[in-house]
Formats: sequence, structure tokens, C-alpha cells
Amino acid sequence: MKKSSVERATLWICVALVAAWTFIPLLVMFWASMMPIGDLVNGIVQWPKSFGFANYLAILGIANIDEIFGGRAESIGRGFINSAIVAIPVAAIGTAMAVVGGYAFGRYRFPFKGTLLFVLLSIRVLPPIAILIPYFVILSSLRLVGTHFSLIITYLTAVVPLLTWVLMGYFASLPIETERAARIDGCSRLKALWHIMIPMAAPGIAAAFIIAFLTAWNELLFGLILTGGTSNQTLSPALLALSPTMPSTGTANLGLTMFAAASVMSAIPPLFFAILAQRYITRLNVADPVTTQGD
Amino acid sequence: MKTRTLAQADASFAIRIILAVILFNAIIIALPLFYAAWISVHDRDVILRTEEFIGAEHYRRLLTNPEAINAMIASLKFTLVAVVGSLIVGLGMALVLNEDFPGRSFLRAAILIPWAVSEVVTATAWIFMLNPTFGALTGVLHPLGLASENQVWINETTALYWVAAAYVWHVAPLGAFFFLAALQTIPDGLYQAARLDQANVFKRFLHVTLPQIRSTVMVVLVVVTVEAFRSFDLLFAMTRGGPGTASQIFPMLIFRYTFEFSRYGLAAAASFILVGVGVIVTTLYFVILMRRRRTVRIDAPAAAKLADGGAAA
Repeated sequence: MKKSSVERATLWICVALVAAWTFIPLLVMFWASMMPIGDLVNGIVQWPKSFGFANYLAILGIANIDEIFGGRAESIGRGFINSAIVAIPVAAIGTAMAVVGGYAFGRYRFPFKGTLLFVLLSIRVLPPIAILIPYFVILSSLRLVGTHFSLIITYLTAVVPLLTWVLMGYFASLPIETERAARIDGCSRLKALWHIMIPMAAPGIAAAFIIAFLTAWNELLFGLILTGGTSNQTLSPALLALSPTMPSTGTANLGLTMFAAASVMSAIPPLFFAILAQRYITRLNVADPVTTQGD
Repeated sequence: MKTRTLAQADASFAIRIILAVILFNAIIIALPLFYAAWISVHDRDVILRTEEFIGAEHYRRLLTNPEAINAMIASLKFTLVAVVGSLIVGLGMALVLNEDFPGRSFLRAAILIPWAVSEVVTATAWIFMLNPTFGALTGVLHPLGLASENQVWINETTALYWVAAAYVWHVAPLGAFFFLAALQTIPDGLYQAARLDQANVFKRFLHVTLPQIRSTVMVVLVVVTVEAFRSFDLLFAMTRGGPGTASQIFPMLIFRYTFEFSRYGLAAAASFILVGVGVIVTTLYFVILMRRRRTVRIDAPAAAKLADGGAAA
């Protein structure tokens, strides 16, 4: 359909607004991360004297800017490793549990299904701190606070119900005929699940894995309470340790440009996965699986 | 085995794996929650290592405590601003991205970036925007005479709203994706008919677009409500509940009870109050969704031919 020039101009203004809203905070953060430590005090809106990747190199351990910040850069590097150590098992175990649960919920009718679905959704409403309090007391008495295990188990409490919900919708949306045909051909139910359903649901399962990984990778509260300040500290609390104590009102401190660089770096895996998962996210129907149930 | 029908065998298989799934979730989620409930009705003395049953005392104290009431009000305010903001920004983004322009597929992918990054990174980006001494907002607006040299953007009255704005930046792209999917199901013919009726762009939005995406509006509304109400990370990373207690939302208060004052019983009770309000929202969610499904079902047999189009709307 042909558009008038007024319509076209309005459209471009709107496009510019969307782009500005999305990119400006990101660009500002990126700009700060390229500044040398100490230049930031004069404000972000300036052309810095030297401009480069020094902060990034320091975090990667390639270059050392300053002895004082060496330790901070190191804690970020460790944060990356710890987050990976925690996020990968969470994603693997969480997805495996959710595949089984999602398949059963998405494919079968059984007594109390409605009630169980309601419970599943209610768990999603649970504020993270509600689950953290008992875990903190239990893990403290078992002397497990500060371990990777403490985070893996607590992240699973958030990830398993969510992914079960997501995959339930996905399994329900797959055509039932293929599975039925396999069953009639003598495939056992478990074989049908393993050889027919899981390959068919592969895109959904991949997306579920990514969601679980990112949940664990991005999370702050559990990481802060259970590993904050220890050598097993994950990325988010490690980042927070670089930020000023009153982040939004405090004055500039010398670690801030490093903080910006570390934040940008921590966002790289999420960006990579978001691009990878983009195609599947709309198909997943995260919000509304109730309406896609097969029954 | 052979005497049973396939359906019966399937049902027992389903029940077995469901039981396994429930058992796993019960151990990692339900048990700790029961323990939390037990903590919430006991008064724990850390020094004497005694625990005394006090019933609903913690709950009673919380429901009459002005600090807790203020925190709940702050939580509801934050949620309301976040939800309204996300609906407007998300729908606005979707409407723009539904139009045809060069670079559309790039922008569609790019708007997901704020959603993909963590709440801590969201906080970082907005701290560099808003900081009074080095922030970009002051840096741009001060030379133009629109802000003082060290404009404190985040103060007692504005803190909650700035955090909500950052939250909208983080979460609206998800809403935009849902809206975009819904917009793409609207048949083009409806717009052509509206154009023939001389309906301008606003009338087309009001009378064609909005009724067609009403259920998606509902879904986004509820999802963002639930997410915003339980969110903690962004606010903690941005303001720590400050300045003072200006942005102390309910989860922040629970955090302080737990880890500043070691008042586990009080904190557990507070977290159940938060759960209670959350469950009310979930119930509404279910009621809304179920009602929608029922309407579709009643209509379906009568208008079988319309069902394909009708069920999607």
C-alpha cells in the first residue's frame, strides 16, 4: 500500500524513537567502558583523551591498568567462570526435568491436572526471596553456603516449574499423529518420547535450555546471598561489588569504567543466546500455554 | 498388559512420570516452603538458640507495621507504573515494527537486547544515564539549560519511578514480541475495509487493532504484573531501596529483615504475605484465561467454520 509523505515521515520518527529508547542506555554504558579510569569524573558526554579497550583487556587479564584494580578485574574473571559452572548444570538438569514434566502435562490427561497446573503457575508467582529464606537457613546449618551446589539447587527451584510450563505448551502444539503412529508400530512410550517427541520438540528444548542458562547467568539475589564475597562468587554479585555503594546518586569512583566494561562483557552470552533463540521465542508461547493445550 | 487398552496404559504411564515430576518439585520447592511456614510461626532466638511457637504474631505485627504497609504500597506503585509503561512502550514498539521499512528485521532483533541483558546490566546502563555527576542525562541537558550542573535525578520522590522506567526498558521488548505476533494475525482485509470507510489511523487503531489484540493485552498485563511484583535485582542494583527508604519495595524489606537483622521468622511471614498477594493475581490470571477458553469452546461447535479464525483472536 502506498504511503503519503506525511505518513512516511511519521513512521521514520517513530522508528527513530524506538531505536533511541533501545540503544541510548546501551551506548552510554559502552561509551563509559571505553574511557580510561579517571576520565569519567568529568562526565560521560565528552570526547575522552584516550579511548580504547584497556578496561576490557584488564578484565581478561591481558593488561594490568593499576595494581589497585587488578584484584577487582580478577574477581570479574572468576565471576565468569563461576557463573558458567553454575549455569550449565542448571540448564542441563532443569531442561531434562522439564522435558519429562512438560511432555506428561502437554500430552496426557490425568486426575487433578488442573490443580497441578495451578500449583505450577503459582510457583512462578513466588518471589525469589520467599524460597531463599528457608534455603539460606537450611544451607547455613549444612555449611553449604558459598558453594556452587547451593546455587545450582536454588536456581533449579525457579527454572524447573517455568520450563515445565513452557515445554508443556510446546509438546501440546506438536501433532499427535506421529506419536500415535510410532506407538502403533510397537514403539514403547519411553522410546516414542526419546526417538519421536524429543527430536520434534528440539527447537523448544533448545530454547528452554537457553532460558534456564540465562536465568542462572543473569540472577543477582541468590548469587549475592549464597556466594557473595566468596571465591565462588558469580558474575552479578561480582559486578555489583564494582558499583558505587549508592549507585545512582554516588559520585564517580575510579572503578566505574571497569564496572561499565565488565557489565558489557557480562552481557555478551545473553546477547549471543538471544539472537540464537529469537526465532523460537515467539513460537514458545511462554505466557499463554493454557490456550494451546491439546486436550 | 494386552488386556488393557492403549489409553488406560497411557494414563498410568502419565501418572507415573507425573508423580516423579511432582516428587522432584516437592523436594526442592514444597519442603523448603513448609519449613519457611514453620519458621514464620516461631520466634527464634539466635543467641539462646531457642525457638518458641508464637502463632500468627509475625503476621499480625507486619500487617500493623507502617514500614511494611509503606513497602507494600511502594511495591504496588512500582508494579502499576511498570505494567502501564510496559503496555504502552511494548505496544508502541510492536506497532512500529509491524510497519514496513528498511532495517525492520535488524531493529526487531535489536529491541530484544534490553530484555536479554540481566537486571544488573540494566541498572548499570541506567546508572550511567542518571548519575548526577557524570551521567549522560545531566551531560546533555545541563549545557542546554534544562538541568542544573549536578542534577539529582533519583531523589526521594522520583526514585521508584526511575527504577520503574529502567524496568520498562528491560521488560517491554517481551511485551512487544507478544504484541507483534498478535498484530501479524490481524487480517489485512479489516484495515482495507476501515480505509474504505474513511477511518483515519487513530480510528483504525481503536476500532480494528485494539479489539483484535485484546487478549494479548490481557496476557502481557498479567505477565508483567507477576514479574514486576516479584522483581528485586534491578531495584537492588539501582538504589538499594534508597534514598532512605524511598524506593523500599516489599521484597527489599524482606531482604533487610533477613540479611540485615537476621529476623528469619518475620521475613518468612512477610514473604508469605507477598506470596498471598501474588496468588490473588495468579487466580485472576486463571479466571481470565479460563473464561476466554470457555467462550471459544461454546462458540466452536456452532460456528465450526469460523473456529480457525475465531480461536486465534
